[in-house]
Amino acid sequence: MHPTRLLRTTSFRLSALYAVLFGASVLVLIGVIYWTAIDALHQQLIAAVDGEIAVLVEADHTSGASRVAEAIGRRVASGGRFTAFYLLQDAGGAKLAGNLPAMKPVTGWTELPIPAQGDSEEDAADGYQLLARGISLADGGFLLVGADTYRLTELREAILGAFAWGLAATIVLAVVGGAAMSTGFLRRIDAINRTARAIIDGRLGDRVPVRGTRDEFDQLAQNFNEMLDRIQALMDSLRQVSNDIAHDLRSPLSRLRQRLEAARAKARSAEDYEAAVDQALAETDAILATFTALLRIAQIEAGTRQAAFAVLDLSEIFRRVAEIYSAVAEDRGQRLIATISPGLTFRGDRELLIQMLANLVENAIRHTPAGTTIALDLERTAGVVVGRVSDNGPGIPADARAKVFQRFYRLEASRTTPGSGLGLALVAAVAELHRICIELADNGPGLRVSLRFPKGS
Amino acid sequence: MLQGSAMKILLIEDDADTAAYIANGLREHGHVADHAADGRDGLFLAAGAHYDVMIVDRMLPGLDGLGIVKTIRGAGVQTPVLFLTTMDSIDDRVAGLEAGGDDYLVKPFAFAELLARLNALARRPPLGAVETVLRVADLEMDLLKRSVTRAGQRIELQPQEFKLLEYLMRHAGRVVTRTMLLENVWEFHFDPQTNVVETHISRLRSKVDRGFAAELIHTVRGAGYCLRAPD
Repeated sequence: MHPTRLLRTTSFRLSALYAVLFGASVLVLIGVIYWTAIDALHQQLIAAVDGEIAVLVEADHTSGASRVAEAIGRRVASGGRFTAFYLLQDAGGAKLAGNLPAMKPVTGWTELPIPAQGDSEEDAADGYQLLARGISLADGGFLLVGADTYRLTELREAILGAFAWGLAATIVLAVVGGAAMSTGFLRRIDAINRTARAIIDGRLGDRVPVRGTRDEFDQLAQNFNEMLDRIQALMDSLRQVSNDIAHDLRSPLSRLRQRLEAARAKARSAEDYEAAVDQALAETDAILATFTALLRIAQIEAGTRQAAFAVLDLSEIFRRVAEIYSAVAEDRGQRLIATISPGLTFRGDRELLIQMLANLVENAIRHTPAGTTIALDLERTAGVVVGRVSDNGPGIPADARAKVFQRFYRLEASRTTPGSGLGLALVAAVAELHRICIELADNGPGLRVSLRFPKGS
Repeated sequence: MLQGSAMKILLIEDDADTAAYIANGLREHGHVADHAADGRDGLFLAAGAHYDVMIVDRMLPGLDGLGIVKTIRGAGVQTPVLFLTTMDSIDDRVAGLEAGGDDYLVKPFAFAELLARLNALARRPPLGAVETVLRVADLEMDLLKRSVTRAGQRIELQPQEFKLLEYLMRHAGRVVTRTMLLENVWEFHFDPQTNVVETHISRLRSKVDRGFAAELIHTVRGAGYCLRAPD
């Protein structure tokens, strides 16, 4: 894998971002620890100095400056729990006791350099400071007690060192982890890319391998494969349509041509020609109608109409279609009975829904004999809106039910009735666009078409 | 003549054959037709002179049909526009109407269909004119009470029949085609496989014309139907 490619991956950039974020958290964490620890130690030093001062001042009160000097002398000689520094001066500023040089009295907290003395010379060179507190005594003398900040400095350095190591480790881990993760991602992306490439190159059957880990990549691979399946299905259907057009338009076109040729050869009178032209016009109109229907189905299947969906009064559409067709049915000796619950709404395309329903009702009217009763129902049952077009005519055999929605499919029995064989294909396309579940069933006798309208729209 | 008085029509169409076919047909029917072969000329003519109605092809070299109509509508020209197109999708029709077109006819078409639609457009009542009673000869329709009488005799109509008669009366004296009825009365933007139009016209006839001396609803062969007062 090429290193620059690795650097460009999203996961690597994310890792870099995480490295920065983690670095910042380490900084904050260490900062808090640093501040807390240093402060605690500082307080400890202050408390120790305060304690010494309290003891020595008490001694001064009870026994006088000479006892204090004695006590300081003992302490300096023995060393304490921490390296302590003392200075006792009289009112005139002369040093009485202690291991610090005489100085101008300063009361309160102060920081002093450690005086160079013997073996602690290195300490002074290192610039350690002395945390000291001076206090005036009752007789005008001056007492100063100081503590070495050596441990404070040590702690500070230890914490800063830990911080540096921690930060370095965080960044190294983030970079290495990011690179490893990116490599994994890239490998799986590459699998998808390879498939895409293969398909571009014409191997349409290729699919992305699915690992079965059910993670995002698997989902992506699955969706990708489903998309490919869908495209494949669309292409098959496109091929089918081209074949259908070739087949179904070729026959009427050749009929048209034969008629015109015959008229050219045989017609003698103006009436003959007129009749031939009229026939040719009718034939042309039929061809155009088939063409329009095919284009419309293709258009609906493309699915772009969803943008124009609006909430519709579905009951009104059913009622309208029932009113329009009950007269048509009556003229053919059939009955159309409508049972429509009012006020049912649906989100969709009005024009297409009217056409869908009209096609279904026309289908029932045209393929059943006189005396048939056709029922058009719309109701809500158990929260689901269901529309039904049923008849008690001859029905269609169970094995043909799935096929009637295909383009140009026509039952043998209905080959003699006029029609393009596209009506139900259009119904299927409109139903699919609206996610309406459409079902053909035996109405015992006859055919029942159920439309289950999806909820929440 | 059946189609009424002459109209002055602007035809914007780039295809020479189609343009000649339409212009000649219109002139044969006694109308005046000006022809522009591209969008710029068309816009120039549309802005310069008064026309009763315009026929605009959707696909034109230079400025396309939608652009022309948007432009003239923007300039306040209210001339009715009929779009002529090979673009047959629902979205295209909606786009045409939204751009300011008044009707939409897909090529190829029958000349009678075009003529009927032009007549319907050119003689539309002005916007804002609200009629409550429509009258043709002794036939009267009260749009508020939703009642119909002929020679004072009440006629009971189904809702769909009422809508059909209303459309015919609003276009009285003019030919309305099957397609115009399907689109405007029943909202059918497709060609039904059963004789919906014939059935409803024949029912309406039996209620409106049967038993009266003069027929009002006439079949115009090869074109459509016409409701008109007897001569």
